[in-house]
Amino acid sequence: MSRNLVLMLIVAVLFLPFVPLLVWSVAEGWYFPQLVPQQWTGANWAAVVSPGSRVLQGFLQSLAIAALSTALALVVGLPAGRALGLMQFPGKGAIKLALLLPIIVSPLATLMGIQFVLIRLGLSGTLAGVVLVHLLPTIPYMTLVLSSVFANFDTGYETQARSLGASPAQVLWRVTLPLIAPGIVVGALFAFLISWNEFLLTFFVGGGRVLTLPMILFTSLQGGNQGLTAAIAVTSVIPALIFLLFSSRALQDDAAIGGLGDV
Amino acid sequence: MSETAYCAMQNLTKRFRGVPAVRDLWLDLHQGERLALLGPSGCGKSTTLQLIAGLLPPDSGQIVLDGRSLVGIPPERRDMALVLQKGLLFPHLSVGENVAFGLKLRGVNRADREAQALAMLAQVQLTGFENRRPAELSGGQAQRVALARSLVIRPKLLLLDEPLSALDANLRGDMQELILQLQADTGVTLLIVTHDQQEAVVMADRIALMFDGCLRQVDTPEALYQRPSDGTVARFLGGVNFFGAVAAGNRLRLTDGDSLTLDSAHQGPVQVTIRPERVQVLAERLCSTNLLPVTVAQSRFTGTQRQLVLTTAAGLELQAWVPPGQSFAVGQTAYAHLPPEALWCWPAAGNASVAVPEPELLSH
Repeated sequence: MSRNLVLMLIVAVLFLPFVPLLVWSVAEGWYFPQLVPQQWTGANWAAVVSPGSRVLQGFLQSLAIAALSTALALVVGLPAGRALGLMQFPGKGAIKLALLLPIIVSPLATLMGIQFVLIRLGLSGTLAGVVLVHLLPTIPYMTLVLSSVFANFDTGYETQARSLGASPAQVLWRVTLPLIAPGIVVGALFAFLISWNEFLLTFFVGGGRVLTLPMILFTSLQGGNQGLTAAIAVTSVIPALIFLLFSSRALQDDAAIGGLGDV
Repeated sequence: MSETAYCAMQNLTKRFRGVPAVRDLWLDLHQGERLALLGPSGCGKSTTLQLIAGLLPPDSGQIVLDGRSLVGIPPERRDMALVLQKGLLFPHLSVGENVAFGLKLRGVNRADREAQALAMLAQVQLTGFENRRPAELSGGQAQRVALARSLVIRPKLLLLDEPLSALDANLRGDMQELILQLQADTGVTLLIVTHDQQEAVVMADRIALMFDGCLRQVDTPEALYQRPSDGTVARFLGGVNFFGAVAAGNRLRLTDGDSLTLDSAHQGPVQVTIRPERVQVLAERLCSTNLLPVTVAQSRFTGTQRQLVLTTAAGLELQAWVPPGQSFAVGQTAYAHLPPEALWCWPAAGNASVAVPEPELLSH
């Protein structure tokens, strides 16, 4: 019983802030003394789905960038996390520290240099440039999550699979990846959400030409249309919610976590 | 011997950072044989297993299996199967899928591999377990599934690495029985790596005893117990009675003056041993050869036997394990009969510099 109460409390704290947002998105003016808006409207949501507001375009653009940078972070983070989690080598501590640097150091300090390089490469203002710069915060998170997953990984499973006739590629596909799947889901969740919410890096490198949802949200906020801003804000939570629902199911699968200690 | 060898390890050497873990190892297995690689922890037996399985490359030497050299052949193409101490069932697959894993990799179609997996599960007495998850199994059941998973691919060589040491004593006996039964049914050639001499004796046709990266003696269990090549081997297998003596033909003169008869001829200074269970303790002088008058210094009942410590008038200490029915009081005088065929000796000099592993180290 008390566990349910705690759960409800957590849900309330997490989701209550969204209630005013939801109300705002369907209200026709909502001013101080009023407890509830006097008039309701669907105009804000109509604006969100209309091509003119470019919300849908930004949504898809954000989705593509987040998916790409998550996939690329995984490609780098999987071998790097394995090396950091399972192997001992000189300079391991320094590499871990270097991985944390993009998280510690403000992007403001590095953006100048990054922008300079990207302009030279002709990548400034392109989707590729934005994806590339999104790897800056996503790779460290992915690598650190996967290194802690691999620290609890028993390579005996891989030995066993090989002795049963699996090639290294088959071991990866049939044994290692299924066993670390929960860790991959957690790492991907981090990477996706970081990329999805990224504003500053996109703003500088995209140079206004790459329009993501946070940029559209920011523009709308500056425009002073609170109703539309609320509707866009609610829209921006949707993929995170879907991802969370999907991944919580994957994480609850005990059998999938069986190969690991505590993730 | 090497002409008929099914699996031959030739001149295997492996060093780690210059320190040899396995040195110049030659070992032959015959087809269908059960061989135990026995030794204390750190003796190089696990390294040897990894060399055979292809998990480590040897620094020199080669392994030949069924006429094919395995140099450069990766583990998955060696026609071997490995069962490790922890069963390591794949937790994301059902029991049935675990058993069928190797068959799936070999491209066996679904109907065939399911039929073979079910048949194999029946052989390890786990009929009806195919849909369970590995997490639902007990340690013994998991190890049986691991055996089934390895045997279903019909390996030329089955490698068992301390497969029973994680199980409790009662279960271990049943598992030994099951493995012997499976080996007899399938005829698979078996190499079992263990630190437990009891397990090696029960499971193996021959035992290869390894110390410090070198094979010390390869023999049948009986021969290892009755005719150890030196004191290290004898002590590792639970030998407790060791005396210095001088041999002249069939006669032995112990350093304290007693004299014994051997059933083989030796010359010069020797080390003599007799297994404690081969020493007969008599209340009266019933025979005349190799009879030493002794005093019972200690008597301990262990459930299945009575362990006596006897001392001769000259101060020689001798352990004898006699049937529990025989009872001796401490301080009582008796006669220890050392049958000539139970006495074994080797030249003393060769033994002098050999380090003897501590008994505590050997038990685990």
